[in-house]
Amino acid sequence: MERAPVPPAPPVPRAPLIKNLEFKIGLLLTLTVLLGAAFIAYALYARGAFQVSQKLILTAEDVEGVSVGMPISFSGFPIGKVSRLHLMEDGKVQIELAIPKEDARWLRKSSVFTLEKALVGGAKIKAHTTNLQDPPLEDGAVFPLYMGDASKDIPVLIAKVKSILGNVESMTAAGAPINQTLGHVELMTGRMAGENGMIGGLMGSPENARKVVQSIDRANTLLSTLNGVSLKVDGVLAKTDSRLFGQDGVMDQAQGAIRNVNTLLGDVRESLKKADAILANAQTASKDVTKITGNIAEATTDMARLRLEIDDSMRKVNHLINEINKKWPFARDVEIKTP
Amino acid sequence: MPLRANLSLLDNIALIPQYRHNLDYETASAQAWNLLLLTGQESAALKRDPQLNPVERCVAKLLRAAIERPPIILIDRPALLLPDTHYPPFLGDLLERLADHLNDCWILDYRWNEPLYPPHPLFPALR
Amino acid sequence: MPAIINFLTRRGAALLATWRIWRATFGLAGKVVVAALSPTVYNSATRTVVMKQIYFTAVQILVPFTLFAALLSFVLIQIVVGTAAEYGLSDYALEMSVRLLVLEVLPLVTALFVALRSGSAINTEVALMRINNELEALEDSGVDTLRLEFMPRVIGGMLSVLSLTAITSVLALVLAYLAVYGAQPWSLPDFARVMGKVFDGAILTSIWLKSLAFGLAVTVIPVAEGLATPKMLFMAPISVLRGMVRLFFVLMFIEVASLAFKYI
Repeated sequence: MERAPVPPAPPVPRAPLIKNLEFKIGLLLTLTVLLGAAFIAYALYARGAFQVSQKLILTAEDVEGVSVGMPISFSGFPIGKVSRLHLMEDGKVQIELAIPKEDARWLRKSSVFTLEKALVGGAKIKAHTTNLQDPPLEDGAVFPLYMGDASKDIPVLIAKVKSILGNVESMTAAGAPINQTLGHVELMTGRMAGENGMIGGLMGSPENARKVVQSIDRANTLLSTLNGVSLKVDGVLAKTDSRLFGQDGVMDQAQGAIRNVNTLLGDVRESLKKADAILANAQTASKDVTKITGNIAEATTDMARLRLEIDDSMRKVNHLINEINKKWPFARDVEIKTP
Repeated sequence: MPLRANLSLLDNIALIPQYRHNLDYETASAQAWNLLLLTGQESAALKRDPQLNPVERCVAKLLRAAIERPPIILIDRPALLLPDTHYPPFLGDLLERLADHLNDCWILDYRWNEPLYPPHPLFPALR
Repeated sequence: MPAIINFLTRRGAALLATWRIWRATFGLAGKVVVAALSPTVYNSATRTVVMKQIYFTAVQILVPFTLFAALLSFVLIQIVVGTAAEYGLSDYALEMSVRLLVLEVLPLVTALFVALRSGSAINTEVALMRINNELEALEDSGVDTLRLEFMPRVIGGMLSVLSLTAITSVLALVLAYLAVYGAQPWSLPDFARVMGKVFDGAILTSIWLKSLAFGLAVTVIPVAEGLATPKMLFMAPISVLRGMVRLFFVLMFIEVASLAFKYI
């Protein structure tokens, strides 16, 4: 069992694995842990875990569209968010907002808070502060939240517009008092011009008499055109209705246009009333020829004024119709000329 | 039993003490290295299983068994492990080199191969 | 009639096999997790294998994969920002791109990448180890294969998926900031506000859980499938194929489940 003495052992060869294996793994794991920790810290920071915030309570009737985490904006900048919603005993809703201390300076005792619901997109809580010199808000202050709901007003608006148009329609419908009046006027003037030519004498010349008749004709056509316009307005409104009230701009324009129509129709009505009165004069005049002479001057001046006014109304209506045509591309070409 | 294919010969041997005694890699591989030096096959230390020749593979397997100093090591039909070697003298030499690290070693072989083995104190159980 | 019986028998056998492999998968996952959480299991050999696994699944591919993820993130962010601007929803562009990338796309892409690169390798390796009897050899030498071979792979795979997801996600956040606000630091409060909105506790937890589940699936399924390989060399490719298909469905299932959890 003799054995040669063991030679000094050469060093253990290390497997030529991967250079700096431990270092690389360590680096990767450290990096991962760091990134993970930093990300969680960042998420906490972003969620406001490190922020000192103060409470603001808004009370509202209805918080449809409001959710926890929703921002409150001031001049378009988010300055805080909804932290809690709860229903109170009286059926109102309390919205608790967390406002970071540094942003709380934008809110003052005089601030007004509104909830705006757009047709597209979510609701927005907005703060409006007019005077930044007012005393600052204390923690836990309670304010009412006003609703500014664009879509909520539309049904009311439509109802109003409809009633206006109903009035216009009943005014211009066949057999309506104003039409009857005009019919009488026409009959009367025709009779005056045809049978005894009294009107010729009354107006000074047959030319003038014809003009009066023409004016009244024009007034008639004007009214029928307006009828058409109102029908169109009705159609448009129906369309608007079916499109879920469309967008704000169209509704506003429509509303403005309808307001114009209304005032114009008021004007027309006024003019026609005057015409009525004058023609009533003429009627009495034709009945009592002997008393005519005294009234002739008055009547003729009145006639001139009437014409002017009717002209004016027609211009306005013409303008209005052009306007409406511009806004509603589906209207046909309508033009009214003054005689 | 085959060696672990993706470890070097040295690591294959060192793995056993790493597991059994929870040694760190330095100690375990030093143990394995010492054994390997005794057998004279240290040039194969960093080779992996497919690169080993039959002799080296046989040494590795023997060492993997021997490093734990079990009471008995059984070599079953060495001809299967050493196809190209005149194995009885080789095994005799190998076992002698490792004599200090072995307790008892049995070689199991067919009886007609008995004359191949020289009488030796280490092989009491030849069949 | 015999045909029907034959058919039913085969279906039944297939069903049982499927059930067995799933049971094996979950059993293995359970054992690995238990082993990974018990400190006594670790020794120098295990640690070496864990490190090697992390090296091969994460460090080696870190740079190319990060570049690829950056490119993908950049293109997706541009698309989201551009589309949002077109529809007048620019306010939501950042939130959308962050949700899309960090919460969904990047973890899934990472998991798929690791599955393709390491999952398939693990599956093949385990199948070959089983076919070559290496596993029995190790067990015979007193080496616990679960501790030496499987658990380190699972740990390595999970850590790799987590690291790659974390790195690419942070990169995507940086890119999103640059794409939306440009290269200037004054919009950081805005960015923080959007981040705070997106990443609440539930979302953070779900990202973690999802990445962990991805990592577990990416490694446990190949190991289980490899272990179930019959001891015939020609079965190795079939084993890898099965493992990959199962892995794909599991990844998709995890993704769908996480989406359902978050948005339904």
